Amino acid sequence: MPLYNPAIKNINIEEMKRYSGLAKCSEFPQHLLDQACTEAQLVSQGKASWQIYDYNAHTATIMSPEPLRLPPTVISKHLANALKVVVIAVTIGPKLEELVSNYFTNNEYTLGLLLDAAGTTAVEIAADQACELIKQEVNKQGYSTLFRFSPGYGQWDITVQPQILSLANADEINITATPSCMLLPRKSITAVIGLTANAPTITHDEKIKLSKCHQCQQVNCLARKE
Amino acid sequence: MIYIFDGAMGTMLQNAGLPPGYCPELWNIQQPESVTTIHKSYISSGADIIETNTFGANRIKLTHYKLQDKVALINTAAVQAARAACGPNTKIAGSIGPTGKLIVPLGDLTFDYAYEVFFEQISALDQAGVDMILIETIIDIQEMRAALLAAKAASNKPVICQMSFGADERTVTGTDPITAAITLEAMGADVIGANCSLGPAQLLPIVQKLVKTTSCPISVQANAGMPSLINKQTIFPMGPDEMGIWAKKLVLAGAHYIGGCCGTTPEHIKSIRQAVKHLSTSNLPIIQQANKTTALTSRTKTIYLGANHPTAIIGERINPTGRKQLAADIASGQFISVKKEALSQIRAGAHILDINMGVPGIDQAQAMEYAIQELSMLVDTPFAIDTTDPKALEAGLKAYPGRALINSVSAEPERLEAFLPLAKKYGAAILCLPISPEGVPKTAQERLHVTQQIIHEAFAVGLKPGDFVLDALILTAAADATAGIEALATLKLYRQHLGYPTTMGLSNISFGLPRRDAINATFCAMALDAGLDAPILNPYDPLMQHTLAASALLLGHDPRGRSYSIRYAPTSQPEQRTDTTTPKNVIAQIRQAIVSGEKEAVVLLVEQALKEGNSSIAISEQALTSAMNEVGIAFGSGQCFLPQVLLSAETMRAAFLTIKKVLPSHTTTSLGTVILATVKGDIHDLGKNIVAALLENNGFTVIDLGKDISPEKIVQEALAHNADIIGLCALMTTTMPQIDNTITALKAAGCQAQTIVGGAVLTQEYANQANANSYAANAVDAVNIAKKIMGTKTH
Repeated sequence: MPLYNPAIKNINIEEMKRYSGLAKCSEFPQHLLDQACTEAQLVSQGKASWQIYDYNAHTATIMSPEPLRLPPTVISKHLANALKVVVIAVTIGPKLEELVSNYFTNNEYTLGLLLDAAGTTAVEIAADQACELIKQEVNKQGYSTLFRFSPGYGQWDITVQPQILSLANADEINITATPSCMLLPRKSITAVIGLTANAPTITHDEKIKLSKCHQCQQVNCLARKE
Repeated sequence: MIYIFDGAMGTMLQNAGLPPGYCPELWNIQQPESVTTIHKSYISSGADIIETNTFGANRIKLTHYKLQDKVALINTAAVQAARAACGPNTKIAGSIGPTGKLIVPLGDLTFDYAYEVFFEQISALDQAGVDMILIETIIDIQEMRAALLAAKAASNKPVICQMSFGADERTVTGTDPITAAITLEAMGADVIGANCSLGPAQLLPIVQKLVKTTSCPISVQANAGMPSLINKQTIFPMGPDEMGIWAKKLVLAGAHYIGGCCGTTPEHIKSIRQAVKHLSTSNLPIIQQANKTTALTSRTKTIYLGANHPTAIIGERINPTGRKQLAADIASGQFISVKKEALSQIRAGAHILDINMGVPGIDQAQAMEYAIQELSMLVDTPFAIDTTDPKALEAGLKAYPGRALINSVSAEPERLEAFLPLAKKYGAAILCLPISPEGVPKTAQERLHVTQQIIHEAFAVGLKPGDFVLDALILTAAADATAGIEALATLKLYRQHLGYPTTMGLSNISFGLPRRDAINATFCAMALDAGLDAPILNPYDPLMQHTLAASALLLGHDPRGRSYSIRYAPTSQPEQRTDTTTPKNVIAQIRQAIVSGEKEAVVLLVEQALKEGNSSIAISEQALTSAMNEVGIAFGSGQCFLPQVLLSAETMRAAFLTIKKVLPSHTTTSLGTVILATVKGDIHDLGKNIVAALLENNGFTVIDLGKDISPEKIVQEALAHNADIIGLCALMTTTMPQIDNTITALKAAGCQAQTIVGGAVLTQEYANQANANSYAANAVDAVNIAKKIMGTKTH
């Protein structure tokens, strides 16, 4: 079972600004942005675990020991040409969210919010790195990778999280789901990556349609891309 | 001489009937004649060197097939199967593949266990009679380091180290070919190269980089192009003829060992042989000879030290001597201060970080190992391992995924005996400190002599030119009037007689004197002129930063003064924004400070306003409340963003606390009591916390129950506090129904409070069906609704 601890050597400040709702803001104290990024880097501990399974695209089923049938929503369309899937879980650990809580307790709301956004950026960076490692490994066998697709997007209900965590062996990196299917630590991601025979030929418009923001129903989200 | 390797083994075994999912290496025992036949086919196609069928014959990989106890048996049989195919001129390379796991800190495999696993396999191959060891297809430099160390310990045979690079010319864990070559050559690799992952076209630039970097011969074994998956079969598209054309290019680029990896066959090897057999080695690029430039590496980066390279700053701040907080942090195992120092020094311009874990009473080896592991995950710069403890040194060198600098090796016998072999073993460079058993030499000539002794001893254990950084040794100017002059003279003698890069701990010179920054910076400029290449200093010192920037320009390391100009050229002044002009009225100034979130400024302004006789009520209403109203309106119209609202709220809080501090009797009337909670089952509280902060700052009494709160608890608290408003938050679809449950419970209990609901997944429609009184789309909205509710109540 593959395990990888991605190094988080840089927090993209523009992404952090987007997650905190500052994407369109040109004037904001730089030292606060820098502090949040630095602290996120200091306390984030990237960890990823995954497992590769055969995939039956006709029945939209992940062929794990206990097969998991995917709903007839965007996820199964996204995987229509997949021969295999990688089920992955990624986290940056619990320390960042403890620090965010401390900031709010100490009435430093701004840093709390910015650090939370920096944590979201960090876990995405960790996931990107793990996906890149997977991509290079499966490329050697001739597979191409589709972009990762997470529960909660495109009407894929988050109640699937416990099964996804199990398929990704996420207990190895201490990610669990609450009874209401939220991930702990909170700065964690699960996703499925389709492996196809040919590199996906995807148009720009299709890419936008399948993007996370487009597949997310939170139209008022601070971080939503136009 | 060009040596031809063989091609792929796995696909040949499958073609010979190896069932899918079967252990390929088990055929060494069960069907050795099939393995021998494959070897023969490669030899008859022109291979000079054949690789044993042992790519996955390590304990970890064999565990998949429950064959972990047969490592020696399988590897010995593999060598016998290979030997059976060989003529007198064919050599056998013992193939060592990756374990399939990543080493700590990138993965969960310890370095020591990886070493043991490789040692076991390489010992078996060595004893069975291979001619060389080939470590191949490695993506983690630490795994390669563990395997190379094991190979050097288990065998005297030559070791070939081949990494796998991606299309970006880095391994997937970030190591580039130059960095890999420097790291591995220093550790004693005999041949360095690349294989797998890429086709020959993509490996050509990698070979070119390796040739320019290392004095080792280069090997390359490309795949037969980039694979495709056709009918669920991995197909490599490049035919033998094309492979031959590329082989010639690879050899002309400087590869001395060439073969094939995935997708290649005896026909490919035959084509390679034909393409390169007539090439004269005199046409090949000349192998780089070791020079006196010293290179240090991290996992992902190389820094060169020497007269022809820019000054490299060694940051000295990760040193607990005299620093209680840092020492306590290291002793407690937290390392947050250590990490902060690392990031801050690099941002201040450090190119190399000196790591010292010298806290009395702790296990320094353990602390050094942990520090190196943690910091190598955080930063890209090479490290200098600064210790007098051989155990701590070895722990650090082992954990370090690159070529470190050992700080330091003196001419004292115990230091030479303990440190030089470690430098050789782990491929580290050494900082030569001219201190002898007789003590600190006073004159430059004496220092040169002691340093020459250290270098002599280092050569005797196998270190080479390019492994040294010479310390000129700085004494304290306050105690010794010649301290500066002798250090400068030492630098000049080093350059004149030895030519290796130089260093020194600059700040020693000013110890005990006032304005140390002035002395340090002045001395730095003088030393750079005298030949200093890598000063050890405090990179935060602004005067030192100016000196280094100016010196880089003056010493020719900053062509046309580009970096200097970018740093110091006056930038065009931004146009003064009309709304940031300072109002004359202090109340207006407070108001503006809150709008623009100037937390520190507002405290002084409020104190001034009170001193000038303004009443606390006037300040509260005309400045604080008015400012927050303006911010709320700006947020609503999209002119201001949530972090700015929060910054204003913090500023308002600071203003309010200042009023309370100056006038303890100042009281404000609560606008109302609000109970806030994230509903049962929901653990997200960021949004709820923001709402709480803004409500409090707007004069509400907030009772924040926290997250994952049951309806019963909310009802109980609402009644107990006679709440005016209850704010409920849910983030996920799975917890949204708890909003309904809570509102139902509140109504059933006869609670009269108004409910406001919000959270990522909630909508006005959902709020309506849940019988909530209001829906708030965001935190500012929640405050406005709460104010409206209380306004309605009081009228």
